[in-house]
Amino acid sequence: MNWELLTVALMAGAANWAFRALPVILRSDRMAASGWLERFLSATGPAAIATLFVAAILPTLSPEMRAFAPVAVGTLAVLAAYAAGRSVVLATLAGALAHGLTVWAIGAAIP
Amino acid sequence: MTATKPTFLAGLAASLPIVLGYFPIAFSFGVAATRAGFTATEAFALSLLIYAGASQFLALALLSSAAPVLVTAFTLIAMNLRHVLYGPALMREAGEGASTRHAWAWAFGLTDEVFGQALGALARGQRFSEAWMSGLGIGAYAAWVGGTVVGALAGGGALDGWPALSAGLGFMLPALFLALLLSILSRRQLPVIAVAGLVTVAATLAISATSGILMGMLAGALAGLVRR
Repeated sequence: MNWELLTVALMAGAANWAFRALPVILRSDRMAASGWLERFLSATGPAAIATLFVAAILPTLSPEMRAFAPVAVGTLAVLAAYAAGRSVVLATLAGALAHGLTVWAIGAAIP
Repeated sequence: MTATKPTFLAGLAASLPIVLGYFPIAFSFGVAATRAGFTATEAFALSLLIYAGASQFLALALLSSAAPVLVTAFTLIAMNLRHVLYGPALMREAGEGASTRHAWAWAFGLTDEVFGQALGALARGQRFSEAWMSGLGIGAYAAWVGGTVVGALAGGGALDGWPALSAGLGFMLPALFLALLLSILSRRQLPVIAVAGLVTVAATLAISATSGILMGMLAGALAGLVRR
């Protein structure tokens, strides 16, 4: 076991526990949350998710149609599935399935 | 409003959609970990201890690029800061009388999807119970850790003969983030999302992917401060 990995995992895990469990244990919802910290914290989630999406999609973008088509089809599938069912899990699976099927179809058409 | 408190088994049943989503994502994490040169035990430890999908993939990138330990740890911690808001939002919906005696255990399982599922159930009129929360959380956690182990044991070369499946699994993460983004999209958050996205692109192209992630999040969160 790599000790650096274990240190990182323990630190990140302890922080995750604190972020998730402490507000419940302390019932922090009873404290009136307002002001700049509340605004900063409430923007952190959307900012993190937007950043992660951009960071994940950037390396997949390519001017080559063979690489771009599955990404475009997968993205459209996520949008369509989310619009239809409002489920994060189902939209994710639909996107991955559409992406994989497009790769398979292109591979079958242009070996 | 239902009179009886939902049981552990009802919570476990409610975790099924999350289990179906988590298992393949965790499997692709296990595969990615072995591809990046980590052992199955190390992949297992990351999933067991951190239990936060996106930041685990980032951990692989940072650990294999020999980034300093503290920088890596704090990047992951910053990434999961958003979870601070889930507990208060959930307990506000659960009501004043809700017990939190076992929260030290079940609340670790408050991931994006578990939180979403729990909040949705409460909003539909279900009563809050720690047993139901535990069932929901354990189902999702088991799928995450189990999927990681299976993926890591299958190994980096497991999908070489299956390019379409490998590509589909590789797209799981962008798809998950897009779906999560859609689930939180609101007019109020639009400036935050736009600033975070633009800064990520700019910093990734100008400096590096890791800087892009850090600077994008920070810029987006700061944009939230400016908002009235």
